[in-house]
Amino acid sequence: MMRQLSLFILLPLLFACAPERDYVPRVVDGDADRGREALARYECGVCHVIPGVADAVGKVGPALDHYSRRSYVAGKFPNEPDMLVRWIVDAPAMAPQTAMPAISMSEQDARDMAAYLYESD
Amino acid sequence: MCSLHQGVPAQAELHPWEVAVPKGQIAHRHKALFIGIGAVALLLVGAGAGVVLLLSGAYSTAATKQHFGITYRILELGLRYSVASNAEDIVVPDLGRVANVNIGYACYRRYCVQCHGAPGVARDPLGRGQLPSPSSLSESARDWPAAHLFYVTQQGVRMSGMPAWEYRISSEGLWSTVAYLKAMPFMTVAQHRELDESSADETCPAPTAAAAYTRERTQIMFRQYACDNCHIIGGMVGPKTHVGPSLKGWRERKYIAGVLPNTRENLVRWIVAPQDFSPHTMMPDLDVIEPHARQMARYLMTEE
Repeated sequence: MMRQLSLFILLPLLFACAPERDYVPRVVDGDADRGREALARYECGVCHVIPGVADAVGKVGPALDHYSRRSYVAGKFPNEPDMLVRWIVDAPAMAPQTAMPAISMSEQDARDMAAYLYESD
Repeated sequence: MCSLHQGVPAQAELHPWEVAVPKGQIAHRHKALFIGIGAVALLLVGAGAGVVLLLSGAYSTAATKQHFGITYRILELGLRYSVASNAEDIVVPDLGRVANVNIGYACYRRYCVQCHGAPGVARDPLGRGQLPSPSSLSESARDWPAAHLFYVTQQGVRMSGMPAWEYRISSEGLWSTVAYLKAMPFMTVAQHRELDESSADETCPAPTAAAAYTRERTQIMFRQYACDNCHIIGGMVGPKTHVGPSLKGWRERKYIAGVLPNTRENLVRWIVAPQDFSPHTMMPDLDVIEPHARQMARYLMTEE
C-alpha cells in the first residue's frame, strides 16, 4: 500500500520537474485578448489558420499555431517579439519578395497580435 | 502489487463457476491465473521502473558515460547478424571492372576518414568524442565481406552516428569505396601515402538519378536530406520540430515560403535552390538533385 502511494506521489512530481524552455518570447505592452480581436478585425484569417480566431482558415500563408515555439518568422528572421511586430506591420519592408502585404495599422495593434500568437499555444 | 495476489483467491472461492468443477482442476486453474497475474504484474513493474528511470533523469545520455561490457557484445552481435541477413541479396559486381580504388579513396577522404582514420592517419576530433566510437576499419574491412561493407556504407547504422551514404555517393562510388576498404588493411603507411597522392585529383561521384517513385522511398529521401529536422511532413513520423513550417496538407497551400506560387514545378525549383528565390530564407541549399526534388514535390502535392 505504501509503495503504491509513494508511486502515485512520485510520478506527478517527475512530470512536474520536466525541463522548461529556456527562451519563451513575450511581448511587452501587448494584450493577447485585444490581439485576438485585432487579428479578426484585420482579417488575417483570410490567409492564415489561427487557432482561436473566428473564420481564420486561410491557406495562402502558413498556419500560425505554436507560434512561440517557432524558430523563425516567415522562415526568414529569428522569432523574437520586435522582429514579429515589424513583420506584421510591414513585411515587404523586410523581404520585398514576400506575398504578405503591408497592412496599415498601429504598432499597438501589431504588439497585441504578436502577444496573442505567442500566448495562445 | 502484493494486494493483487492476496485478493484473487479470496474472490475466486466465492465465484459460482467453481461449484461444478472437480478439485484438481480448480488448483490447475488457480495456477494458470497466478502465472497470468504474475506476468502482468511483472510487466507493469517493469514499465513503471522504465518511466521512473526516464523521467528522473537517472539514465545518462552523456557520451562520456561508458556502456556495460555486455552492451557492447550485444550491439556488435546484433549489427553483424542484421547486416548479414539484410545484405544477403546484394550481388557483388566484378570490383576489378566496376570499382576504382582511387575513386573509392576519394570518397573515403571526403566522407569517412574524419571519423574512421586510415593507416597512419588520425581521425578528426569529430571521430574521437563519440559513443559508440566509430570503428577503425582496418579490422572490419578484413573481417567483413564486400556485400556487407557495401550495405553498411549505403544504409548506415541506426543510433550509432554512422550515416547512410546512398544519397551522397553513387552506386559506382560506393563499390569503389568498398574496393578501397578491402585493399586498405593490407597497405603500408608508405603505400597509403602514395594512394593519397595519386588520388589527389579524384572526386567522389554523387548520385545523378533517382529510383522509381514510391511513397516509402520518398519518405526515406526526406529523412536522408534531413528535411524532417525542420519540417513536420504529412504521413511521416519524426521529431516534433518548429524550425520551418509544417508541410502537412501542402497541396492546399497557395505560396511556397510566401514568395512563389505553389505549383509542382516551382516547388522543384525551390527545393533545389531556395536562396535563389528568397535571399532572407533560412532554408539552405541541401544539394538535392533535381530527380529527387521532383519526387519530393510529387509526394508533397499528393499527400494529405
